[in-house]
Amino acid sequence: MSTTSASRSERAARWRNRLLPALLPVLILVAWELASRSGRLSNRVLPEPWAVVKAFWVLAVSGEMWRHVATSTWRALSGFALGGSLALGLGLLTGSLRSAETLLDSTLQMLRNIPPLALIPLVILWFGIDESAKLFLVSLGVFFPIYINTFHGIRSVDKGLIEMARSYGLAGWPLYRHVILPGALPAILVGVRFSLGFMWVILIVAETISAQAGIGYMTMNAREFLQTDVVLVGILLYALLGKLADLLSKGLERWWLRWHPGYQPAYQPAAKAA
Amino acid sequence: MMSYEFELESAALTGLAPWHGVPREVAKAPVPSDAARPAQGASIRTEGLSKSYGERAVLHDVNLQIAPGEFVAIVGRSGCGKSTLLRLIAGLEPADKGVIRFDGGARATHSDEIRLMFQDARLLPWKRVLDNVALGLDPRRGDVRERARDALAQVGLADRANDWPAVLSGGQRQRVALARALVHAPRLLLLDEPLGALDALTRIEMQRLIESLWQRHRFTALLVTHDVAEAVALADRVLLIESHQVALDERVNLARPRSHGQSGFAQHEQRILERVLNQPDIRRVA
Repeated sequence: MSTTSASRSERAARWRNRLLPALLPVLILVAWELASRSGRLSNRVLPEPWAVVKAFWVLAVSGEMWRHVATSTWRALSGFALGGSLALGLGLLTGSLRSAETLLDSTLQMLRNIPPLALIPLVILWFGIDESAKLFLVSLGVFFPIYINTFHGIRSVDKGLIEMARSYGLAGWPLYRHVILPGALPAILVGVRFSLGFMWVILIVAETISAQAGIGYMTMNAREFLQTDVVLVGILLYALLGKLADLLSKGLERWWLRWHPGYQPAYQPAAKAA
Repeated sequence: MMSYEFELESAALTGLAPWHGVPREVAKAPVPSDAARPAQGASIRTEGLSKSYGERAVLHDVNLQIAPGEFVAIVGRSGCGKSTLLRLIAGLEPADKGVIRFDGGARATHSDEIRLMFQDARLLPWKRVLDNVALGLDPRRGDVRERARDALAQVGLADRANDWPAVLSGGQRQRVALARALVHAPRLLLLDEPLGALDALTRIEMQRLIESLWQRHRFTALLVTHDVAEAVALADRVLLIESHQVALDERVNLARPRSHGQSGFAQHEQRILERVLNQPDIRRVA
């Protein structure tokens, strides 16, 4: 008897914990909807939530939204691939070779202090307003988080493990593949997550300045016609895509770092206490 | 303890001549000819081995001779250079002077016949237990996993092959490290205080395991330890390193497996401990 009632109260507590975080957003949405309907909140400031949902639906059905989403995603991913692979390669190089570090690192550290968005005037002069300008900005934005974390990841690999591996006959590529790269992987993935966040920020700015397609273009266009609901759809899309990218990198971490005590359920302190 | 160490240091710094507790010849034994070389254990000889870090001499003119299949323990105070001697023989660090002979030849050509166990297990946390054991085996050979499984079974961990190292206990990790060394069928196994971080019961278990595997495979074993009782329990010979040299070479001819209650065990342990604690160097300074 007592055990069933205990498990019931436990289950109730679990549901409460699950629902409680949603309480505030729901309240805000309700208050927002009410304020819009009563006319206290002008449509030019914020459209009612329901209008945003409707706009989302209309844009999705007409296929216009997907075209913009596809354009933006393509820009983001190609920029990420270009900047990320360059950063990974250079980070591995400077992390592994002292000579490469002395040659390149201080230059790269200097460039790191320039915010990529400060380059927008130059970038427009160099590339105009076509795709290569956005590709350049996104690549630059994702470069440094990955570069720095890769460099430090390589440097912070346990020296004892390297010594052990050498004494067991590993050298060259096998040493790199079995010891150094996996040892640096947690840090590299931290860099990837950082840069995915950066990727969207830079893309948003680049697209709102000059574009013929993409989510940023869609929202800027909507602004011209005072379609605040479409602007909000654009903002929501950025939030969703950002969340998706984060989930993806989290999934990568969970798979690649499944050996790590931090990713093994049995070793979480909460589970230990229970 | 503290003051002893301090005085030992100061004796070294003021350049007092190192004390020779034993004539150097004691550490030598007849060199086996190549024809008589047994299949398993390797013979090790060091000639005039010296090593210093900057101004601080750690080892000076160390000559020792280890017969094939012999189990030798090296004891000494912390910082006496016993681990350094092991690292030199392992090839982890170059010696300043002197040579190391492996079966009478150069050590460097026998690197794959020497395996080392560290104080910490040094397992790769991103590889499962079985892959850790298989580390360094040539993957082109088809039987890598079978050999690794066999080595794991020998240390009693066959059922943990697919676990991550993070979920193992300290003793289990060292057993995996032992399996990783054994899978290469080394002719010389170097043990750098591998049991130092384990609790008392696990230590005794590990000592028995190491002894039984040594008896089975007949490799030459060189164990560095700070525990004199452990040295007496396992070794055919106990060497004491002191003042940069081998200062004592005690042969232990007790029947195996040994126990603390065995007659003669306590005498050996007592004699070595006395020798470690009553260093003539310290008496002279004091």
